[in-house]
Amino acid sequence: MKYTTFNQKNNDPLLEPMFFGNPVNVARYDQQKHSIFEKLIEKQISFFWRPEEVDVSKDRVDFQKLSDSEKHIFISNLKYQTLLDSIQGRSPNIAFLPIISIPELETWTETWSFFETIHSRSYTHILRNLFGDPSSIFSDIVENEEIKKRAADISKYYDDLIFYTQLWQTLGEGTHTIHGEKHIVTMRTLKIKLFLCMNSVNALEAIRFYVSFACTFAFAERELMEGNSKIIRLISRDENLHLTSTQHILNLWAKGKDDPEMADIALEFRDQARDIFLDAVAQEKEWAGYLFKNGSMIGLNKEILCQYVEFIANHRMSAIGLGQPFDIKNNPLPWMNNYLNSDNVQVAPQESEISSYLVGQIDSEVGSNDFDEFEL
Amino acid sequence: MCKKVTVVKYDSDIPCEQTLSFAHNNLLDCLLNNNIAKEYHCKEGFCGACRTELIEGHVEYLLDPLAYIDDGEILACCCKPLGDITIKA
Repeated sequence: MKYTTFNQKNNDPLLEPMFFGNPVNVARYDQQKHSIFEKLIEKQISFFWRPEEVDVSKDRVDFQKLSDSEKHIFISNLKYQTLLDSIQGRSPNIAFLPIISIPELETWTETWSFFETIHSRSYTHILRNLFGDPSSIFSDIVENEEIKKRAADISKYYDDLIFYTQLWQTLGEGTHTIHGEKHIVTMRTLKIKLFLCMNSVNALEAIRFYVSFACTFAFAERELMEGNSKIIRLISRDENLHLTSTQHILNLWAKGKDDPEMADIALEFRDQARDIFLDAVAQEKEWAGYLFKNGSMIGLNKEILCQYVEFIANHRMSAIGLGQPFDIKNNPLPWMNNYLNSDNVQVAPQESEISSYLVGQIDSEVGSNDFDEFEL
Repeated sequence: MCKKVTVVKYDSDIPCEQTLSFAHNNLLDCLLNNNIAKEYHCKEGFCGACRTELIEGHVEYLLDPLAYIDDGEILACCCKPLGDITIKA
C-alpha cells in the first residue's frame, strides 16, 4: 500500500491497530487507542535536557590519569554507546513511522528518536572535551571489527523490515524479483518481520545499553569521569522510558490487546524472540571480553560484567513473558541502582521541585478566601 | 492498626514467610528498610524494575504507573497497601 502523508479516508483511529492499518491522518491526542504512549510522550518531554548543561571539563584531567587498559575500556565503551544511539536516532523513525496507524504511537516514536539524537550529541560533547579533535574516535566506529560486528547484528532486523516495507509500498503484496533475488511479500511476512524487529529493539534497549552504563558508572564509583557519568545518568533515565515503550508494544500484541494476527505471531515466533534476546546476551558477553582484553579495572571485570548481563536479562525477559533463563538471583553490581534512580539525577533548578515542571507550572486555583487578609 | 506486609520467599523447597508492618512512604521503602533485596531503578513508576507479584490483598498507586505490569503484579516503588497484603519476594 502506497504511503500517504495525509490519509484522506475518514477513519476512526480508535479502531486502527498500532501498525499496518491506515496511515495516520490527523495528529490528535484528545483520544487515544493506547493511552500509555501519550503518557510516555508527556514523561519524556518533561525529561528534556541538553548536553551542554553538564560540565565535563574535569573529565579531561581524570582521563589523563587512567591507565592504558582503562582508557581502552572508557573509549571503546563510548564508541559503542555512540553506535547504539546513531542507530536509534534514526531507525525507529524510518522503520516504524511508515507503518504506524495511530497518532499517539507515531508521536511517541518521533519523541523517542529525538531523544536518541540528544544522546548522540552528548557523545560529541564528551569526546570533544577529551580530545579536542575526536575525528579518529568517530572514524574507528566504522573501521573497528568488534564494533562493526555489533552494528551488523543490531541493524539487520531494522534493515530487513525497512526493505520489505519499501517493496510492499511500491509493488504491493506478491512475489517480487529484485536484482535476481526473489522476495515474497505478504502482510503476514511483514508482520513477522515487524515482530522480530521490535524484539531486537527491545533487547537493545533492555540489555545492550545497560552493559555500557555499567562500565560508565564503574568509573564514577571511583570518582572518575564524573561529568561523563552525569550525562549517562540522564541518558539511562531516557532509555528506561524507551524500554518501557517497547515492552508495552510487545505485551499489547502478546495479550491480544491490539492486532489479533500479531498475537498469533507472538505465540508462533516466541522461540525466535527468545533467541534474539539470548543472542544479544552472548554478544554482550563477547563485548565484555573485548573491553577487558588488556586488563580489568578496579570494581569491574569481565566475569562480573557477564554476571550482570545475565541478571539484567532475567529481569527484562520475564517482563515480556520469556521467563528467567539464567541462574542468578542477586544483582552483582548493586551500586548500579544508585545511578539508575531518577531521584539522583541532577536536575535544573527550576525542575528540582517538580520533575514534570513543563506541565502545570502555574497554580491557577483561587479560592474565595485567598484575599481575606487584604484590606482596602 | 498498622498494615501488614507478608513476604513469601520461594528460594528453597520450603517457602518461608516474613511479616513486616507497613509504616513507610511506599512498598519499596518498606521492603528495603527491612533488608529485603528488591531491584529498583527509577523509583518513579516508569522503568518497571520493581515489579512484584501480589498474592493477596489490594494496593493503591501514589502516581500513575507507566511501566508495564502484568495482571497480578504491582510496582513496589509507587504503591501503598490498602489493608494487609501478601507478596512474593
